[in-house]
Amino acid sequence: MIPSSALSDMSSIAPTAVAGVASLDSAKTDPTLILADRVQQLYNQVPVAVGATLVLGAITTFELYDLRLRDLVLFWWIVVAIISVSQIGLLLAYRRSETRNSAPQQWHRWLGLAALAGGSAWGFAAAVFFPAHSDEQQVFLAFMLAGIVSGGVPIYAASWPVYALYAAGIVVPFTYILATFGKVLLEALALLLPFFYAANVLVAYRINRVFNDGYRLRHAYGHLTGDYTALNQRLEEQIAELMEAHREVDASGRKLALFAERAPIAVFETDRNATVLEMNPVAENIFGYSAIELTGRNMLRTLISPGDPGLGNDWWADFVKQGVPVTGLRVQCQRRDGLEIVCEFSLTPLVNDAGDLLSVIAQGRDVTQQLAAERLKKEFTSTLSHELRTPLTSIIGSLQLVNSGVVGEPGKEITELTVIAERNAQRLLDLINDLLDIEKIESGKIELYPEVFALDDLVREAITLNRAYAERFKVRYAAVGELPPAQVNVDRKRLFQVVTNLLSNAAKFSPEGGEVEISMEDRNGRAYVGIHDRGAGIPENFRHRIFSRFAQADSALTRQKSGTGLGLSISRRLVELMEGEIGFVDREGGGTTFWFELPKLSNGSRKGT
Amino acid sequence: MPERSLVRVCYVEDDEDIQKIVRMALERLGKMTIEIVSDPMKAIDAIVAFKPDLVMLDWMMPGMDGPTLFRKMKDNPATRDLPVVFITAKASSAEMNELRALGAAGAISKPFAPKELPEQLRAIWSTLP
Repeated sequence: MIPSSALSDMSSIAPTAVAGVASLDSAKTDPTLILADRVQQLYNQVPVAVGATLVLGAITTFELYDLRLRDLVLFWWIVVAIISVSQIGLLLAYRRSETRNSAPQQWHRWLGLAALAGGSAWGFAAAVFFPAHSDEQQVFLAFMLAGIVSGGVPIYAASWPVYALYAAGIVVPFTYILATFGKVLLEALALLLPFFYAANVLVAYRINRVFNDGYRLRHAYGHLTGDYTALNQRLEEQIAELMEAHREVDASGRKLALFAERAPIAVFETDRNATVLEMNPVAENIFGYSAIELTGRNMLRTLISPGDPGLGNDWWADFVKQGVPVTGLRVQCQRRDGLEIVCEFSLTPLVNDAGDLLSVIAQGRDVTQQLAAERLKKEFTSTLSHELRTPLTSIIGSLQLVNSGVVGEPGKEITELTVIAERNAQRLLDLINDLLDIEKIESGKIELYPEVFALDDLVREAITLNRAYAERFKVRYAAVGELPPAQVNVDRKRLFQVVTNLLSNAAKFSPEGGEVEISMEDRNGRAYVGIHDRGAGIPENFRHRIFSRFAQADSALTRQKSGTGLGLSISRRLVELMEGEIGFVDREGGGTTFWFELPKLSNGSRKGT
Repeated sequence: MPERSLVRVCYVEDDEDIQKIVRMALERLGKMTIEIVSDPMKAIDAIVAFKPDLVMLDWMMPGMDGPTLFRKMKDNPATRDLPVVFITAKASSAEMNELRALGAAGAISKPFAPKELPEQLRAIWSTLP
């Protein structure tokens, strides 16, 4: 099968790619990242700057080194060395830092201070050494300072403010010294120096902008490349998924073909006009046509008996129009040899996303034998019911008439025997009735006829009518208090059967002289009936199957108490069919309560509502 | 409820044993006059001749079943208005309801208690207009 994720992913490729290109100028040129690149460029220049400073510092020291200012020159040289070492330390710290890309502003500021310190060292040289030395040395120093100011441009150009700080550290003291030296020429030079400074800062600024643009372009291009690499990778993954899906579809197709070929049911594929496109070997067997014969012919005209009104052209046209699957469609069909059979069809229209019907899959099985068996079973049940009940009517009727003394008082021993005969005939009748009920319930043929009536009246009636039965076991029925009124809407006759079953069970299993209590109450809007006995209780190993068929705790008891073991099973199914519940609980002090609950009609409900 | 009490009953039943039991129950316990008809084909004539208050029909009989006989009675002006009670061992609830809808006065299922049969018939009789 095609994984749905593959298809949904496919549809999402294009929008993502477009979004990637569209954001090239904005999200991809993060100013922090560009600053981080520029700061890195600045730090990369630190070794060059330090190297140049040390070399030029050494030359200057050598040139200015004389006895008069030896200590001061040496001091200056040490200061230059300390600043250089500090700058190298700052470089090492920067390279080890994890925040250099996330927080480049901080490193930028520190480098600015380092550059200011470096420039100020040269400014110190200008301020201290320029007035104290000879003209030649002054010229040397002036050239050296001009060179250092200019040389700083390529080193610090990645950030014009850094360069401006660096150059200011040199130019400001030097300008001050020249302006206050007292020579007109030097004063003129002092006037020129700020212009020289501004020109250099301007050049640095221009180079800075070039750097900025360069880094921005580099980032944008990097992101673009990254996007397309990711896109390409996703495409490759999706192609792989599609290939896998294709393989699965292929396998499913082969499996389906195999199912259709080997299935024990007839399978046809037809077009929207019911023209057969394909059919499986079972369809050939059931209908007696070969696939070659039937392909291209109309399924309805060829297979359906002319007399069957169930599946005609009108029906088919309606089915095609609706496009909804149909199951359990029983149709009279005619085989190629003329034999009439009944087939049960399931029709499934294959519809595409646009709602067009592509074809119809018809699956059918021959149910002729099954229907015959069902008919036979029904006839058998009906016959069993009639043929067994009719002689029992005579037997029970005759015995009842004898026992009632209508035909004269029989002797004591004759009465004993006829009572036994009547009781056992009744038992046989109960068994037949139970078996017929079970058969009806299990075949789903039982029909319930709900009517609205008072449940409390039914319970009272059942108590009255079963009283004689309970007396045989020397047991008494007693209602607990006044039974509260409760209207229900169920099959009265069948519910009477349930109550009778529970009452007779309670009497049968109560000790001699015992009392069976019957209570009714409202439980969460449902009518509850409880039948409480003081019997021996339900044995542990029997509790789970008490509502099963032929369930009785032990067979010796069955013989002693009589009963088919079907009563509770029937009662449960009947109560469930009435949307009720049935169960039992142990009773405090011994015995069992069998109960059932039924949906109760609200007060004021009347028949027909 | 009819003004007079239930006295004359005609019973169409092919089973001789049940015939005897019903006769004994209705005559001795119910103090009624009963006419038994064994052949459903001759039932209409016998009913017209006997003029019963109520007719009891067996459901399954050879030659003609109870429901068919009932419909024939409904077609005959002489028997159309007679109340009919079915005695049956077979009818499903659905069929019983159908017969009630056609106008059957009641149904008593087999096996019935002969002792209670007169009372059951009188109970049905009392519901009639």
